[in-house]
Amino acid sequence: MKRLIAIVEDEPAIRDNYAAAFTREGYAVRTYANRAQALEACGARLPDLAVIDISLEDEPEGGFELCRQLRAMSAELPIIFLTARDSELDAVSGLRLGADDFLTKDLSLPHLIARVNALFRRVEALRRPAAAAQVVRRGALALDAERMTVQWDGRVVLLSLTEFWIVHALARHPGHVRNRTQLMDAANVVLDDNTITSHVKRIRRKFQALDPKFDALQTVYGMGYRWVE
Amino acid sequence: MSLRLKLLLLGLATLVLPWAGCRYAREMESALRQGEVDSLNSLSQTIATSLQGRTDLLYRESAAETGAHAEGVAESTATPATDPDFYRATPYDLEPLTLSAAPLLDGYAEDWPHDPGAWSHFEKDPHHRFALLTGVHERMLYLLLEVHDEHPLFDAPGNNPLEPSSFGDRVWLGFEDPQGEQQQVFIAAAAPGAVIARRVESGEYGRQSARLEPRIRGAWTPTPDGYRLELRVPLSLIGKGFGVLIDDRDTRGALPVSYGTLRADDLHTIGHLILAAPQLNTYLAHFLQPGLRLAVTTPAGRVLARADALAQPTGLGTETPMLERLYRRFIDRPGERTPLIAASPIYDRDHAVEIGQLEVTRSPERWIRLRDRALTHMLNFTLATSAIVVGAILVFAAWLALRLARLRRASESALTGTALVTAFPETAARDELGDVARSFATLLARLQEYTSYLRTLAGKLAHEIRTPLTIVRSSLDNLESEEVPPTARTYLERARQGTERLNGILKAMGAASRVEEAIGGAERVSFDLVPVLASAVAAYRGAFPERQFGFDCAAGEVRMRGAPDLIVQLLDKLIDNAVDFSPTGSTITVRLLPEPHAALLEVDNAGAPLDPELAGRAFESLWQSRPGGDTRPHFGLGLYIVRLIAEFHGGTASATNLPGGAGVRFRVRLAR
Repeated sequence: MKRLIAIVEDEPAIRDNYAAAFTREGYAVRTYANRAQALEACGARLPDLAVIDISLEDEPEGGFELCRQLRAMSAELPIIFLTARDSELDAVSGLRLGADDFLTKDLSLPHLIARVNALFRRVEALRRPAAAAQVVRRGALALDAERMTVQWDGRVVLLSLTEFWIVHALARHPGHVRNRTQLMDAANVVLDDNTITSHVKRIRRKFQALDPKFDALQTVYGMGYRWVE
Repeated sequence: MSLRLKLLLLGLATLVLPWAGCRYAREMESALRQGEVDSLNSLSQTIATSLQGRTDLLYRESAAETGAHAEGVAESTATPATDPDFYRATPYDLEPLTLSAAPLLDGYAEDWPHDPGAWSHFEKDPHHRFALLTGVHERMLYLLLEVHDEHPLFDAPGNNPLEPSSFGDRVWLGFEDPQGEQQQVFIAAAAPGAVIARRVESGEYGRQSARLEPRIRGAWTPTPDGYRLELRVPLSLIGKGFGVLIDDRDTRGALPVSYGTLRADDLHTIGHLILAAPQLNTYLAHFLQPGLRLAVTTPAGRVLARADALAQPTGLGTETPMLERLYRRFIDRPGERTPLIAASPIYDRDHAVEIGQLEVTRSPERWIRLRDRALTHMLNFTLATSAIVVGAILVFAAWLALRLARLRRASESALTGTALVTAFPETAARDELGDVARSFATLLARLQEYTSYLRTLAGKLAHEIRTPLTIVRSSLDNLESEEVPPTARTYLERARQGTERLNGILKAMGAASRVEEAIGGAERVSFDLVPVLASAVAAYRGAFPERQFGFDCAAGEVRMRGAPDLIVQLLDKLIDNAVDFSPTGSTITVRLLPEPHAALLEVDNAGAPLDPELAGRAFESLWQSRPGGDTRPHFGLGLYIVRLIAEFHGGTASATNLPGGAGVRFRVRLAR
């Protein structure tokens, strides 16, 4: 059975373009122009993944509200925010509300599809028992590329997809400096420097919440970041 | 001219007060002087009236007269009190000086007062003339006789003075004794030296003898044009009239040429000896006040008596305060310090004949002192008023200037600056300045709205354009998956390139607002600036191989609190800017200079110098001056971001030209 993707987007042209792309990839797609429609339809049948625009018709932050409501329905439903806005605030709010990823609309369709595929992979991987071969260990860090989960000292660190890929790109080759472009490529996103910086900061904070002495993720000013064991 | 100066000049206009005061003081002064003259006149009239008819007080002779009356001597026709002629000056009257010391009877004039006006001159013809000076000292009459004689002739020595053949030049004195009898003595000298008068007496049988009159004596001295005779006569001998007669002979025994103030035929007196009564001085002294001089003169003007207290202090104090002396220097007019003089005639009982004159002189000191006192008070008051007014104006002007300066600074900083002026000064003031401030505040608020609108416009625009751009890009993405003829693929590629460029423009437009957001969310940590910069500069060497990069830092460690990410971003913008404006192959120098409370970050590039007028604007939002031919999108936000980050770190950003046009230096000061 085809996986069902719900696209909630008030701009018809974008909505239809995304729908066409996902359909071509073999997904079933349902599109909604506003929160009420989307909520009603999802209440009837929960999609396998939701792509939500933040501003919906007359609700400038309707996407956030919808995200919260969907998360209330299902804790596992992968949710991707897609927005013209790329400001920090939106990103933080969206992720705090339980979104799995946060993408700007200038992301190309192939990139978007790659992210969606990755999310589905992760969902599947989480359902299977962990395969030890996929786990990368770097000291206290255990990184499961298949399930896209991260553990520090045996405790799970909840990272968004982008954050996971950043950590993954860095931790695979400890000591090597990865510049921002490399990180963006690894995360399949196009972000400006400040957003990368705030992603890195957030990753650090998440690790430091578990281990206050965490300093494995270092900034090399002017160049990028590196993972130190 | 500054406002302060203008107001000060205005304040100096109050100096018209002291000036007007001086004018008023002058008016008052002349009124005062007039009053003083009037009072002096009335004083002199009062004294003159009290002396009316008191010839006994005035004249010594009349006192003698009254004495004579008392003794019953009948002389009613010619008493000085009734005889109008007595007071009418004749050329034969003698008015002796009051001598302060008795002259030595030596025939020399040196011990006499030098007063040419006091001499009486008698002249018969140019060859026969003499001058006479008379003086009184302590009941003695002194005479100094200068006789012009081309052939002075002494008596033949050793002979009887009454022997006519021995007669030389002789001098006769004639006077009326206190009893009214006419008396004559003559002075004959056989040689220069002391002489004693002789009196001719008729003895029995008409025999005449010349007896010595030892009370009258003197000295005879030859002079180049005649001789001089100095004589002393006790006043007690003399009653009313007095005269001198010269018998001039050119040969002994010859008939003399007689001339003088005695009748030549019987040697009777014609003129009088005008002499004050001894009580007159005492009488005048009753009226005397300090600063006053009283003088009684004969109708002809010779002083009879004088009481002088002119130089005595008037009791108003002699001490002149310095301030007063200073004022006087401005007020005094020459000649105003001359004494005031009032004169009144003294009449006889019938008010018909003037028997004398009273002259009252008052020193100007009294009224000048009064004037000075009033003037000083007035000037002190007006000058103090002026000073207070000027001071008040100065304070007011300073306050006004301060307010204006505050207003100016506020509007300047609102225009050039950075900071949003939320509290514009002076807007609460109720005066016109407050109105100006309020309009300024309104104006600036509008301007700020406009600027902030402009600043957000880029971001808003970027956001608005992003949706249609997404439509185009996603359509292009979809088109890639469709069957497209290879020829159309070229256009597809171009369309994609176009959207990429459009996307780049959008990113650049939103850069400032993203940095503002980043600043809003930034955390301050304590870190060492040196390795951060060193690492960044090392990265630039890789990123811009066509430029040389230098990093100067003498300090080993520069710790500061801030956001290192933002600092690196700041440096990125400065380096971007330096790379854009400097020629290929040139060196870009990054310099870190630690200061006590700041870190100074300098980036030098060898680019073309900035227009000095525009240097200050380089850090404003949406401002740029770039060489043409640059195809990358720029919105003049790079240096604005530098400024935002510098201000986040409590610092400033500035741009200056290097000396000699060697390039441009961007300097960022970061508080530590």
